[in-house]
Formats: sequence, structure tokens, C-alpha cells
Amino acid sequence: MISNSVFLIGFSTLAFEVLLTRIFSISQFNHLSFMVISIALFGFAASGTFLSIVNTGQIGRPRYFSTWKSTAVLIMLYSATTIGSFIILNNLPLDYFRLPVEPVQILYLLAAFVLLALPFFFAGFIVALAYTQRPEKTGLIYFATMCGSALGAIFPVLLLPFFNEGQLVIFSAIIPLIGIPLIPNKAGKNQTTSKHRKTNRILWILAGLAMLFNAIYPLSPYGDWLIRVKPSPYKALSQILQFPDTRIDQTFNNIRGRIDRVTSPYIRFAPGLSLRYMESIMQHEAAFSDGDNQLVFYPSDAQDQYPFSTFTLSYSGYDLCPNAKSVLAILQGGGTAIPCIRASKIKDITIVVENPPLAAMVGQRSGLAVISQPPRAFLAASPRHFDIIHVENWGTSIPGSAALDQNHLFTTEAFRQYLAHLTSEGLIIISRKLLLPPADCLRLWAGAYEGLKMTGARNPGNHLAIIRNWDTFTLLISKQPFLEGARLEKFARDRNFDLVFLPGITAEQANRFNKFDAPFHFVEINRLAAAYLRGEENAYFRSYFLDIRPQSDNRPFPGRHLKWLKITSLYRTLGSRLYALLMSGEIVVSVVFFEALAVSVFLLFLPLFFVRRSAKKPSLPQGLYFFAVGSGFMFIELFFIKKYILLFGDPIISFTVVVAGILIFSSFGGAWSQKKEKSVLKRALPVLIVVLVLTALALNGLMNYLLRFSTIWRYSGAVLILLPIGFLMGLPFPIGMRDLLDTSMQRAYAWSLNGCASILTSIVSAQLAIIFGISLLLGCAIAAYLIVILSWQHM
Amino acid sequence: MKKTILAFVFFVVPALPNYAETVSDSPEFAKARNQMVRTTIEERGVSDAKVLSAMQTVPRHCFVPKDLLPAAYSDRPLPIGEGQTISQPYVVALMTEILQLQKDQRVLEIGTGSGYQAAVLAQISRHVHSIEIKRKLYEQANKTLKSLGYNTIQIRHGDGYFGWPEAAPFDAIMITAAVDHIPPPLLKQLKEGGRLALPLGNPFSYQNLVLVTKQGNDLIVKQITGVLFVPMTGYALKESSP
Repeated sequence: MISNSVFLIGFSTLAFEVLLTRIFSISQFNHLSFMVISIALFGFAASGTFLSIVNTGQIGRPRYFSTWKSTAVLIMLYSATTIGSFIILNNLPLDYFRLPVEPVQILYLLAAFVLLALPFFFAGFIVALAYTQRPEKTGLIYFATMCGSALGAIFPVLLLPFFNEGQLVIFSAIIPLIGIPLIPNKAGKNQTTSKHRKTNRILWILAGLAMLFNAIYPLSPYGDWLIRVKPSPYKALSQILQFPDTRIDQTFNNIRGRIDRVTSPYIRFAPGLSLRYMESIMQHEAAFSDGDNQLVFYPSDAQDQYPFSTFTLSYSGYDLCPNAKSVLAILQGGGTAIPCIRASKIKDITIVVENPPLAAMVGQRSGLAVISQPPRAFLAASPRHFDIIHVENWGTSIPGSAALDQNHLFTTEAFRQYLAHLTSEGLIIISRKLLLPPADCLRLWAGAYEGLKMTGARNPGNHLAIIRNWDTFTLLISKQPFLEGARLEKFARDRNFDLVFLPGITAEQANRFNKFDAPFHFVEINRLAAAYLRGEENAYFRSYFLDIRPQSDNRPFPGRHLKWLKITSLYRTLGSRLYALLMSGEIVVSVVFFEALAVSVFLLFLPLFFVRRSAKKPSLPQGLYFFAVGSGFMFIELFFIKKYILLFGDPIISFTVVVAGILIFSSFGGAWSQKKEKSVLKRALPVLIVVLVLTALALNGLMNYLLRFSTIWRYSGAVLILLPIGFLMGLPFPIGMRDLLDTSMQRAYAWSLNGCASILTSIVSAQLAIIFGISLLLGCAIAAYLIVILSWQHM
Repeated sequence: MKKTILAFVFFVVPALPNYAETVSDSPEFAKARNQMVRTTIEERGVSDAKVLSAMQTVPRHCFVPKDLLPAAYSDRPLPIGEGQTISQPYVVALMTEILQLQKDQRVLEIGTGSGYQAAVLAQISRHVHSIEIKRKLYEQANKTLKSLGYNTIQIRHGDGYFGWPEAAPFDAIMITAAVDHIPPPLLKQLKEGGRLALPLGNPFSYQNLVLVTKQGNDLIVKQITGVLFVPMTGYALKESSP
């Protein structure tokens, strides 16, 4: 059955896509991998373009692709190009930082685009062929493709703990080869001649050899170097491995990331350390997530490793609460919260680390019980109150590179949640890198201010304090107002730290030990505080050079600071270096969008030039229909992926659950549509829109409710929400392919339209979410399906 | 067939850094160097004559990989392999200027890297010590500096965190390796009145400099933002009034 082939192809391509995301997270920086993967997915759309051109050619040509042989060849090509492109890409000396100075890097980048697009091209071609050759079975083909894709999304989740990324790419690439014997031979047994049998035998031998060559050698120890994914040389892990006596002791792979546990005598991590601390710092073990984002371990018996922490900015919170009895530490990298806690002698310690292997490592090394759960879910479910809540997340080293990263630890809702879990004398500690011009500290201060307002604090500014050194700041949020700041002033003075914000301080106190040309942070935070008191904070945010608005759960992008209207000023400030601008994830997304638009225009206009006058072209309503279906589908998928990150705490987990859920349920819709007339759309599409509107109104409440539940119920609830939407989403495409189009050319073109729409939507969604918030994506989905209804009515 | 193999090698074999220590100076390089000093260093406020002369003298092209020679005198950081960079010339000049070195003063550099900064320092001071922990970089830098005749620079392969106690105290210390805190042992090896400089931020984005001055028991930290940063803060302070 053709369904077997498309099922296996769907399985393999989505597994490959998920694995590519993991591979690029290790070997590159996230926003750069976005660039390559987005363009590569145009392989799908290109297959539709190619097929639609073929279908307008000579009469005999389309039939060539309907044979058993051609399908088998296409599957083998898919398999071979998947493995080949991965191996070449994994060893290609592509270095983004050499792009502006080494012209050959542009060739390497183009090669990466083309190589990665090839497997998607062949996969898309196979599926598009199925739709064009068996239009009466589009429902079943859709069911098979979507089911296969859904299972493919889960495949890496289940197997990454046991195999590395490269091995799984090989496995996923050879799986479709299993389907070759199951492809229907239209010639029929009785008509098979000896020539056919000989050809078949040769093909089988070739297929077998291809499998052997492609799979066995890279999977063997001799070929492992071809497929082992290495972190970028610019990442922290690659840097420290160049030090003597440094080794990786353990590596864990899971869908959340690769964790490497490293032992080295040169691990020393003490951000915010006072210059008055005169002893050496010795730490020996750390874990690196995807080659970066170090988390240092402090063994329970290494008492000598703790005293330095009393000279760090973060310890200011502990110093202000000498009677604290309980602490909650949320660790997303760093690890310095633990020595602070140890030095403070607090006994009731709760540590939350989201990533399970990392949580196990921290627990094992520190001798403390560590909870492995998304922090916001933990807080939603926990009735506990703490004297100190210490949130540790140090951000990235390249300003702008985290612009696309979602993080729910620093939203106004998060601050409200932290405050709700503080005891009456409790304190929150957040330390981050100090940026110039002031950006992050302003945003966090404002987020904390609004969180305090939500809890009813009368003068939120009195509950906030910031101290800094030359490259780090600590924000303190107190349940009680800082009526007397003498203790904090003494802590700062004794350690040569500067006060940035504390009720009653002067500008001189803010620029005493770590001097800027002017007390920039002090000035801006006090301006912001004054604006809040006058109720003019929005005017301040609008006029400020960078985007520093506090983030919400609907717009949780704390690393996003770019204002497009100020981009020329930013460009000049970066020394008029275009390349420095491209360090920003947001700018990369925009560049990719224009590239994608150009590719889409090319792919969509090219077939129209080949259409003979006698051939029936797709009409405008038909084109709009399929474009809007692809766009609407992707908007909904991305809306849920981004929304559910709050529930699951991790973008890859969210991606896997949402994609698998929506694809499975839409496959059911596709299967159901097989026996239905097109008139079913008359009811189904409006119902889908109503369901989307209800989702927009009810989802936040539902999610806050689900957050309180255990993991299994949270996942189950999240998947159940997708059921009605996914099912209804599975109707328009297969019904459209079957009943709204007449020719193979039109169907192939519709496939291309659908593919281009999906990719453009995924790129533009990233930008829309960070500027306007995630909810807008659902609004766009509703608009897209309204266009589907309108265009259907005009057909 | 040959073309196929060549294409395969071109795409698959990683480009190894191949240094230009044997590339002699030329009028073109000298002209580029001159222009670099004039337009990207002097015009941006670096005025110390010794520093300008040092930047004019040291052949930066000998410290970059051969395939990056055309960019040797551009005002940008350049990748030199192993995830390392040679700093932007302006940052090198500014860092050197803020140390206010004299001929007989002792300077310690933590993070030799390509050796370029050490060579610039050696043009001003007779007592340059440099430590590099990564063996490959240490060996390459040592080779390059020796081949260029910088025999007064003492380079050590070791852990710069602990400084160079045998040669301490130092009038100036420069940390060019990425750090999240200033190593306490280095502060102990700084003389009274001594200056310690380090760059902050990512070289591919933008950088500020930190200067630590030892005055008695106090350590004063000053952020040197340089001309690069002024438009941003100027804007931030003047334009963003609520």
C-alpha cells in the first residue's frame, strides 16, 4: 500500500527534523540553527513545484513517477540524502563567525541549505505523488502521513537516552527502506516479465548495498567520527576541554539536551565576586547543557568551597535575612546558589532543577534532595512558603542571541507567584549580568514592581533593591518594605559593591567603587521609578532606546530588547558592523523571512510559466484556500507550542507533545473525512473557528489549573485540549485535495502552496510572538481559517 | 573523478588554521597597518604615542590564519581557530593605552592567544610576561613571537589564574581570557598603584573595558566604554526622558 510508504516517510522526516534541532542546539547557537532549518524545509514545497512542472509536461512523463520502481528509487534517494547530508553537514567547516571575513563560508552556508533541503525534497515528492496519483484516497493518505509524523516526533524522545543524535539520524533514515517491498506494483504479477524480475533484483541489491554502506559504517566505532555531534568551538565546553587534565566523565542525552559532566581543576565560577575576597576559588566539577550553560557542582563534603559565596552579590539576600530557616533555589545554570545556602547555614533547603539528569547530578553531588520539575509547575502545586527564593539564571554571553528564547521565570506572573510563596519576612534574590546600556535590570525591576502591585503592595518601589559590581547585578525583592537600608548599605560598602536602587540613596553612592562615566543604571531606574509613581511608565517604555517592558506569560521573552524603529542607532553603536547586528536572534529571523519570501515566490511562480494554455491552472480561490489552510495549521501549532512551554518548562518537550498531539488528532480527522462529502466543511470550519475563540478565552485559566497537577495529569490535560482542534484541522486539506481540485498539476501546486505557507508562517510567528505576544498567533489562525471559508465559498 | 574528489575534500576536510608567521611584511601590509592606526585607532581617541607606534610596528597579519590575511588589518575580531579570536585592533590599543605602561615596568598578560597583544606590549615595555593555558595556542604563539624576534617576552604554558608569582609584583596586568570574576591571586600580584585591565562582553558583539587600580587597600574599578559606547549612553541619558 502507498499508505505504508507515506507513513514511514512521515515518521522519518519528522524524526529527522526533531533531531536536526537537537544537533544544531549542540553544534551551533539556537538562532543560527533557526536560519538553516527554516530554509531547508523548503525542500517540501520545492517537491510540489517540481511535480507540478512535471505534470504540465509531456503526457508520458507523469506516468513515470507512478511506477513501483520510481517510488522505490525515491525512497532510496531520501534515505541516502538524509544520511549523506547529515554526515557532510556534521563535518563541514561552517563557521558563522568567519562569514564576514572568509568568502568560502558563504559557499558552505549555501551547501548547508541545499544539502538539508534534499531529503525534505524527496520526502515531499513521495507524499505529493501519493496525493496526485490517488486523489480518491487523500483522507487515508493524510491519515498515514500525519500518524507517521506524530510517531516520528516521539521517536527521538524515547531513544535519545540510549543512542546519540547521529545514530538516531541513521536509524530514522533507513526506516522508510522497510516499506519498499510493500509498494504496490501496478504492472501486476502476471505481467511481470523476466526483464522486470531482473530489474527488480538489481534494485533490491542496490537498496541493500545502500543500506549497508550508509548505515553500518557510520554506526560502527570506525565511522563514529562521521556522526558524532560536537559542540561549537566557541561554546564553553569546547573551550574548557582544551585545558590540561580536563575530561568528560559522563554524557546524558535526552530530548531536553545533552548534558556533559566535566571534571577539571580549572573550573572556577564566581560571578559577582567582591574584589575584597583574596582567596582562590577551586571547583572541580560542572555540567554543560548542549556544550554551554555551565552548572557547577559543590560536593557536600567540600566545606572549603563555600566561603567565597559570602563575598558575592547574591549573598546580600542571605545577609539581609540572618534568621532565614527555609530556602527555595531554582537553578537554570550557574550553581552558586548552593554555596550561598551552605554558607548561610539554612537547613530547610529545596532545590528545583528542571532537567532530570541534571537534577540527579546536582542531588548526587550536593547531597541535597533536588526536585526535577518545571519551576512554575512546582510553585503552582506547592503550598509551601520560603524565607528566601533564589532564582539563578545568568543568561547568554552574546547580547541579543537569547531574543527568541522563551523563559517564564521573569514574567510578572512569575514574580507574583514567587511573592505568594514567601513568608512575611521573605526575600527573592535574582542575579544577572549587568548590561550597558541598562536593559535587563530595568526590565526585571519593572517586572518585580508589577508583580508587587498585583499582590497589593502599596508602594512597590520600597520593596525593591539593586546592588552591582562591574559586570553583575542582584535584584532583591522583599515582602516587607526596605524601610531601613543600613544593613544592605554596609554589606555593599564592605565588599566594594555599589547600590543602584534602594529607597533614600544618592547618586554618589551608586557610582563609588565600580565607576561608570555616569551612574547610568541608577539614573534610569530612578527615572523609571518616578514614571511609575506618576502613572507614566508606558511613556517611559515607549521613549527608552531599547525594549525593556516587563514580560508576561503571554510575551515571555526576557532577552528581547530590540526596537526596530531604533535600529539605525543600534547599528551605529555597534561600530557600524552589520555582522554584530546579526548576533541578534530577532534580526536573524527577519533576514530569514525575506530569504524565505524570495524562495516562496520563486517556487510558486515557476510552475505557472510551464502551464500550457489547455491545462487548467489553479484558480485564485483554490490557491488562497490551500495557502490559508497551511498557514492556519501552522499558526495553531506554534501557538500551542509556545503556550505549552509554561506547562512543560522546555521548548522541545512542548514541541514534541503539541506536534505529536495535533498530528495524531488531525490524522483522525483526515481518516474520518475519507467517507465524507465536501459539504461537511460547511459546518466543520465554523465549528473550528468557534473552538479557537473559546480556546483564546479559556486556555490561560485551564493552563493555570493544570499547572497544579502532577506530570501525568498535566500532560494528559494538555493533549486533551488539542483533540477537538486537531481533529477539525485534519479536514480541510484532504477534502480540498480530493474534491476541490481536478488535475494532478493542481494538486501538486496545492502541495507546494501549503508547504510555502507553513514555512513562512513559522518564521513570521517567531517575530509576531516576541513583539505582540503569543495570543496574537491564535488570532492569526482564526483569520486564516476565515480566509479558508471565504475562498471555499468562491470556488 | 578528480573533480569529485576535490569537491569532496573541499567540503569535508576542515580548514586548519595555518598561520602566517613566515609571511614577511610588504608595502601593502604596511599601508593597511598605517590606515588601521589612523582611521580605527587614532581617530577614535587613542592618543598615546607609544601605543600608536606599537600598533604601527607589530605586523598583525603574522598573527592571523593565512586564509584570513585579507582581513588582517580590518577593525574586527578574527577567529584564529579552536574557538579563539584575535581581538579587534581598537580594543587592543585601548587596553594597552589604559595600562599607561613605561619601558621598565613589568606587565603580565593572562591569555596569550595569538600573541598579538603580547607583541604590542613588548613594543612599550621590556618586561612582558604572558601565560596561556591552551597548549596549541601557547605553542603557536611562542613560535610566532620567536620568529618575529620578540625574544624579551616570557611566555609560559600554565594556569593564569594564579598569575606568575616568581615575577611578581607587576605594574600592570591584562586579562584577555574570558573570566566571570577577577582572580584574587592576580590582585595580590599587582603593585601599589598598579593597573589591571580586562575586556567585558563578547568580541563579536560589542565590548567594554574594565580598569582596576590598586590604591592602598582599595581597588577602584572603572568602566572604560570608549567611543564605541558613547552614542548609546548619550542617547539613553538624553533622549529617554519620560
